Amino acid sequence: MPGRHARWLALTMTLCCCAGAGVGMAEPENDFDTRVAPILARRCLDCHSGANAKGKLDLSSRKTAFTGGEQGAAVIAGNPDESLLWERVDADEMPPKSPLSAAEKAALRAWIADGARWGSDPIDPYQVTTERRAGRDWWSLQPVQRPRTPDVRDRGLVRTPIDAFILSRQESAGLAFQDEADRVTLIRRLSFDLTGLPPTPEAIDQFVQDPAPDAYERLTDRLLASPQYGVRWARTWLDLARYGESNGFEYDEFRLSSWRYRDWVVNALNANQPYDEFARLQIAGDRVRPNDPAAIEATGFLVAGAYDTAGQNQQSAAMKAVVRNDELEDMIGTVGQTFLGLTIHCARCHDHKFDPVRQTEYYGLASALSGVRHGERDLSAIDPATIAARDRLAALSRAVSDLEAPALARLRLGQKASLAAPPRPIAAWDFDRGPEDRIGKLHVTLEAGASLTSDGLLLKGDSSGHATTPMLGRELHAKTIEAWVKLAALDQRGGGVMSVETREGARFDAIVFGEREPGRWTVGSDNFARTRDLRAPAETEAAARPIHVAITYDEDGEIQFYREGRRLGRPYQSKGPERFPGNQTHVVFGLRHSPAGRDRLLKGTIVRARLYDRALEPWELANSAASFAVVSSAAIAAELPEGQRAERVRLLTEIARIRTRLASQVRKAYAVSPRDPPTTRLLLRGNPAQPDAVIAAGGVAALRGVESRFSLPPDAPEGRRRIQLAAWITDRANPLFARVIANRLWQWHFGTGLVESSSDLGFNGGAPSHPKLLDWLASELVETGWDLKAVHRLIVTSHAYRQASGMNAQAAQRDAGNRLLWRKSPIRLEAEMVRDAMLAVSGTLDTGLGGPSFRDYEVVKAPGTPAVLYQAVDPSAPGLSRRTLYRAWARGGRNALLDAFDCPDPSTTAPRRGSTTTPLQALALMNNALVLHLADVTARRLEREAGPAAERQVDRAYKLALGRAPDAAERAEAARVVERHGAATLARALFNSNEFLYVD
Amino acid sequence: MEMDRRALLSSWVRSGLAGAAASALLLRDGTAARAGVAGESQPACPHFEPRAKRAIHVCLCGAMSQVDTFDYKPGLIAAHGQSLQSAEKPDVFFGQIGRLRKPDWGFQRRGSSGLWISDLFPHLGEVADELTVIRSMVAETSNHTPATFQENSGFRLNGFPTMGAWLSYGLGCESDDLPAFVVIPDARELPAGGTINWTNGFLPTRHQGVVIRPTGEPIDDLFPARTLPEGVDAATRDLVATMNRRHLERHPNDDILAARMRGYELAARMQLAVPEVTDLRREGLKTQELYGVDRPETADFGRACLIARRLLEQGVRFVQLFSGGTFGSPRRNWDGHEDMKANHGQEASRIDRPIAGLLKDLRRRGMLDDTLVLFTTEFGRTPFAQSAADVVGAGRDHNQYGFSIWMAGAGLKHGMAWGATDEIGWKASENVVTWPDFHATVLHLLGIEHERLTYYHNGIQRRLTNVHGSVIKPILA
Repeated sequence: MPGRHARWLALTMTLCCCAGAGVGMAEPENDFDTRVAPILARRCLDCHSGANAKGKLDLSSRKTAFTGGEQGAAVIAGNPDESLLWERVDADEMPPKSPLSAAEKAALRAWIADGARWGSDPIDPYQVTTERRAGRDWWSLQPVQRPRTPDVRDRGLVRTPIDAFILSRQESAGLAFQDEADRVTLIRRLSFDLTGLPPTPEAIDQFVQDPAPDAYERLTDRLLASPQYGVRWARTWLDLARYGESNGFEYDEFRLSSWRYRDWVVNALNANQPYDEFARLQIAGDRVRPNDPAAIEATGFLVAGAYDTAGQNQQSAAMKAVVRNDELEDMIGTVGQTFLGLTIHCARCHDHKFDPVRQTEYYGLASALSGVRHGERDLSAIDPATIAARDRLAALSRAVSDLEAPALARLRLGQKASLAAPPRPIAAWDFDRGPEDRIGKLHVTLEAGASLTSDGLLLKGDSSGHATTPMLGRELHAKTIEAWVKLAALDQRGGGVMSVETREGARFDAIVFGEREPGRWTVGSDNFARTRDLRAPAETEAAARPIHVAITYDEDGEIQFYREGRRLGRPYQSKGPERFPGNQTHVVFGLRHSPAGRDRLLKGTIVRARLYDRALEPWELANSAASFAVVSSAAIAAELPEGQRAERVRLLTEIARIRTRLASQVRKAYAVSPRDPPTTRLLLRGNPAQPDAVIAAGGVAALRGVESRFSLPPDAPEGRRRIQLAAWITDRANPLFARVIANRLWQWHFGTGLVESSSDLGFNGGAPSHPKLLDWLASELVETGWDLKAVHRLIVTSHAYRQASGMNAQAAQRDAGNRLLWRKSPIRLEAEMVRDAMLAVSGTLDTGLGGPSFRDYEVVKAPGTPAVLYQAVDPSAPGLSRRTLYRAWARGGRNALLDAFDCPDPSTTAPRRGSTTTPLQALALMNNALVLHLADVTARRLEREAGPAAERQVDRAYKLALGRAPDAAERAEAARVVERHGAATLARALFNSNEFLYVD
Repeated sequence: MEMDRRALLSSWVRSGLAGAAASALLLRDGTAARAGVAGESQPACPHFEPRAKRAIHVCLCGAMSQVDTFDYKPGLIAAHGQSLQSAEKPDVFFGQIGRLRKPDWGFQRRGSSGLWISDLFPHLGEVADELTVIRSMVAETSNHTPATFQENSGFRLNGFPTMGAWLSYGLGCESDDLPAFVVIPDARELPAGGTINWTNGFLPTRHQGVVIRPTGEPIDDLFPARTLPEGVDAATRDLVATMNRRHLERHPNDDILAARMRGYELAARMQLAVPEVTDLRREGLKTQELYGVDRPETADFGRACLIARRLLEQGVRFVQLFSGGTFGSPRRNWDGHEDMKANHGQEASRIDRPIAGLLKDLRRRGMLDDTLVLFTTEFGRTPFAQSAADVVGAGRDHNQYGFSIWMAGAGLKHGMAWGATDEIGWKASENVVTWPDFHATVLHLLGIEHERLTYYHNGIQRRLTNVHGSVIKPILA
C-alpha cells in the first residue's frame, strides 16, 4: 500500500512540474500535444488513468498506453486497424455515452497512422475541461479581459455601462426593464441596502421632494459616506469569515477580544480601503505592518473559526496532529473560497476531483499558513492611543514632581537627608504615579491581582498578581536593584519584591522577603545559587511604612543587601555576576520568579523601584534612600502654598483619570499569534500518520497569469510565506481574485450573483449569467485601484437596480429566476435588519460604532471544567439596543429570533444567506420579548410625536415602519385597533407585516 | 386564563384553516422534496419504501463503557489485575495505563435471545429481545466533543448538519403543527458545546433542532413573552392578516408572501399542539409509572421519553434525547475517569427504567413496527484502568477503538449482537462498524440512499456520510 502511494505521489509531482513548465510553453515537437492529447484528456482519461483505471488501461502516459490493459495493447504504431483503441472508438463503443466526433476520430486515426508519436509524457490531464471536471482552460481561471460595452437599441435606459450588458441579454431574450421605481421605494431599498437601516421620515420627505435630476445619485453618496454603511457591509464579510466570538467544541470559551477584528472590518469598509489591501492585511497584516495594531487585528480573519482547546491540549500527539490538520483545512478552505472562489480544501486527501488543484498544491497552501495559530495578542505597546496617553502621563508626573520638588526638599531636610544628587538609574518606576518607566521604555504590564493606586503597585498575593516589563534590550551583569516597599504582613513567606529574570524565570536575582529565614530579607536567586543567609535582624517596620531595600551585584560577584540606605548583613562573594542576556531578560515586581505561583507572590505595596547597570557605592545608596524617602501625600500637600496645592490636585486627578482609562483600554485582540512552523509534508490520504514529501509554500498553478511558485525554501520564515501568499492572492493579474469580489458585490445588491455559487467559481459552481458583465466589473475594480465604493455606486445607480420590482407573469414564464433582471427582485430583510429596523422604528436604536460586543446571554461557567454555556437573558434588558452586528456571536449562544430569520451558524463560512419562512419565524416575531418590548417603546414614541389622536398615531407609525402614509381604509382600520388595544398592538402588527419585512 | 387563550386561538385557527388546508404545508415538506431551489434540487425522499418513518435517538454524553454494559468479556474478567499485554503502547487521552479491570457489574443472558446485558441495566435486560446491539463500533477520535460531532454529523468539526437536520431536510415532517427535529436535553444541563450539537450546519436554518423543555414553557417564544391584555393577541393577528392581504393584492402572484401568511396560521396551530403534546396528565398513571415519571431518579428522563413518544405520535420525524450534561466536576455525564461504579451507576439509574418503558410502550402500541430507536455514545472506555501502571484504578479512560451501541425497532433483526471486540473488549476485531456505516444504515431504514441525500456546500455535494459508509445489511430484517 505505501509503495503504491509513493508511486502515485511521484507521478503527481512530475505532472506538476510539467504543468508549471507548460504555461506559455515552447513549440511542441509534434502535434500530439495540440491535437491528440486534448482529445484523450477530454474524452478518455476520466476513466482511463490513475491507479483505478478502467480495464486497467491507462492512456495518460506513453508506456502504459502502449502496454495496454486487460485486453492487451491499445495502440499499434502505424497501424490503426490493428489498434484496439481505434477499433473501439471507430465502433462508437468508446467513450460509452457520447462517441467521438468525426473530426476527433480523424485526428486520432491520423496520429496512429503517422506512427503514434507521443508528446509531453505523461499527458497533463488538467490541460482541458472534461465532462466531469474542470481543466486549466476553465473559464474562471483565464485572465480577465475588459469587454467592450455592447451596443443596445434602447440607449435611453443605459444609466451606467452595467445596463448595456443587461439590456443586450434582455433584447436577445425578448425581455425588458421595468420603469424606475417610485421614490419612496427607492430610498427604502437603497437605505436598507447600503446601511441596513430604514430611512427616517425626514430623509424620505427630503428625497421625495428633491427636484434635482441627480437627487438619487446624491442620496447614494450620502449613504455610502454614512458610518452605518460599514456596519451593514461588515456583516456580509463576517459571514464569509465564519466569525464567531467563542471557541466552539467542548469548552466553547468566550473570546473577549474577537471584536477587534469586527471593528477592523467596519473601519476598513468605511474608509474604503482598497480591496487588495483589505485582503492582504487579513492574510498577513501582522507581517506586512508589524507595528500597526490595526493590521494585526485584521488577521482575526484567519482565526475567526472554531478552536478545539481540549483537542489541542490532549496527551496523544497523534490525535493532536489530527486536530491541528483539521484546523488547517478549515483555514485553507476559508481562504480559498473567500478570496478565490476555489475549493482548495477538497484536495487535502487526493487531487481535487472537480477542479485543477493538486494535492501538492493543497499542502503548498498548508505550508504558507502553517505558522498561523490562534491566540490573544496584547497590542498596547504599539497602540497609538495608549502611547499618547502614556506620554501625557509622563508629562503630568514630571509636572507634579517639579511642583513638589521644593516642598519635598524641605521635608527631607527635616529628615536630615543629604542633598547630593542621587545616582542615575537605567530604569525608574514611580508606581504611585503610574506604570511607566520614567527613563526608558520598560513600562510594566499588570497581571490579574495587581493594581495601581495612589500609594503604588498594590499586590494582593493571589491569582497571578504581579507586574512585568518588556525585555531589557541590553545585557546585564553588574547591577543594583532597589525598591521602596510596604509589606501587608511580616509573616508572609517567599514573595519577591523585584526580580531580574530570564524569560521563563529559569535564572533570576531578586529581593525576596521571608523565604529561607522567616521575617527576614533574602537575596533570592535560582536554586539559591547566589544566595547566602544574611543573619541580619528581623524586619519590624516594613508593615507600618514603606522602607527602602536594595541589592548590589558587582563585577567580581560580590553581593550586598541594603536596607534604608545602610548595609544589612555582610557583603559576600558569589559565583556571579550572573550574565542576563538583553533580549531574554525582564524585570518582574511582586513575584520571586516566573511562572506565577502563590508561594512566590508578594503581599504588599511597591511605591517605587530603580534598576542600575552597576553596583552602587554605599554612599550612593544612602543618598538614594534619603532623596526618595517616601513622604506621605498629605505631608507634601500641607507643605505647599494654597495655589500650588490646587494645581497639584488638578494634575493628580487627570493622572488618575488617564490611568483608569488605560487600565480599561488594554488593546488586546484575538488574532494570528504566529509560531515557527514545523516542516510541511504532504499527508497521504490527508492522514497525519502518513507523512510524505516535504512541500514548500506555494499557490495553485492553474490560475493563469500569476506565478504560483513562491520561490521559498520549505523552511522559509513563516512571515515570508504568508506575505507571499497574500501577494499571490491579491496580484492584479489573479483572475479569480477580481472576479470573485465583483460577483459578491453583485450578489449582495441583487440577492443572486452573476454566478450563483459565489464562493465556488469552479466546476461545481454555477455558470455566469452575464460573463462579460462579470469581467467588465472585475476589470473596473482593478482599474479603479480596487475601489469598492465606486463599484457599489456603479451598481446602485444603474437602471437595472433602480427599476421597479413588480411581477410580470410573461417574463416570469421565460425567466422564473429573474437571472436576466427584468425586475428588481424584492428582498426579505436579513435577521440583523429586522432587529435594527424595529429598534429604529421605536426610536431607541443606538447607532454607536465599535467596542466590545453586547451579550444577549449570560456566559455561565459549568462547574469543574473550563467549559461555558450560554444562557439567554431578557432581550429587552437595558444596554441591548445597539445594532445587531455588535451582538457577541458565540457559537453556542445563538439567538432564536435571529435564527428564525436565517442567521447562519457562525461555525461555517456562509457566502449567501437563506430566506426561509416558517411557523417558528412567525412565533418569534409575534412573541419574542424584544418584539413586545419594542412595540411598547414605539407606542410611547407615537404618543410623544403624534399626540393622543389614534389616526395621527397611525400615520406616524406607517411612516416610521413602512416609509409611507396609510390609505383611508388602512388608517381607519388601524385606528380602531389603537383605540381598543393601544398603539403597541399596531406596532407589533406592523413589525409582523410582510411590507415591513420585504423591500421592493 | 389558560382556557381563554385557548378559546381565542382556536377561533382564530378555524378562521384561518381554509387557507392553510388549501395551500402547500410548510412544515410537512422536506426541502429535498422540492426542486428549483439552488443547491436543493435533489430527487424526492424517500428513495424507496421505508421500514421506519421516524426515530428516537438517545445520545449518551461522556462515553459509556462497553465492557460494563453490552460487551461481555470473560477474558477481561479472567485477566483482572494483570498488565495489558500488547505490542503497542495505547494512545489514550490522559496517558495513564493502569492494570486491566473487570466490569463492576455481573453479566447475564437475557430474554429468549440470550443477549448478554450487564446488571447495570436490569430493565433494559427485560427488553433484550427488542435490541440489535453493535459491539464493534470505532470512532476517529477519543476527544469527546469532536467525537460527539462525528456521532451526530459524521464530521469531527463544528458546522456540519446533524442527523436530525438531515432528516428534516430530506423527509420533512409528518405534522403540520410541530417541527420535524426536536431535541430534549438532559434536565440537568446542556451537553458540552450546547446548541452546536443540533445545528443545521450549512443546511437552511429551519432544519436546526428545536429544543422542547419537559417542564415550563416548552418552546422559546411559543406564547407572548409576557401576559398581554385579553384580546390583544387576536387583534394583532387579525390586523397582521389584513395588512398582509392588502399587501398581497398589490403584489399579486408572489408565492413567498403568501407562504409567510400561511406561516402565521401554522404558528397558531403549533400553539395548540405543543402544550398538548407536552402535557403528561393526558397519560394514565400506569403509563407514567412505566416510564418512571413517579420516581425521583427517573422522573426527568422518564418525562423526556414519554414526551418523545407523544411527539412521534404527532408526526415529528426525529427526537433526540440527551443523557448527560457537559464535562467537569462533579460528574454529570458518563465520563467515568475517576470512579466507574459511582459514575455509571448514577447515570444508568436515571435512564434504565425510562428507556425500557419506552420500548415496551412503543411495542404495545404497535409503533415499534415503523419507529427506530437509537442508543449511542461517542466512544467507549478502556478495559484497563486509568491509573498508575501497577494499580487497578477505579476509573477508565476514553477508548475510540471499540465500543457498543444498540438500535431497536423497525426493519432490524432483534435480539442479536453484531460484531465483536478482542478478548478484553479493547479493540473492535470483527465486522467493524464506523459512524458513516451507522448513519448509512439509519438512513436506509428511513428509506434514504445515503449517497443521494446531498446538499451543495463549499464546492461539493455534501452528505451525512461524507464519502464513506455502507449499510450494515446483516442486521436488517
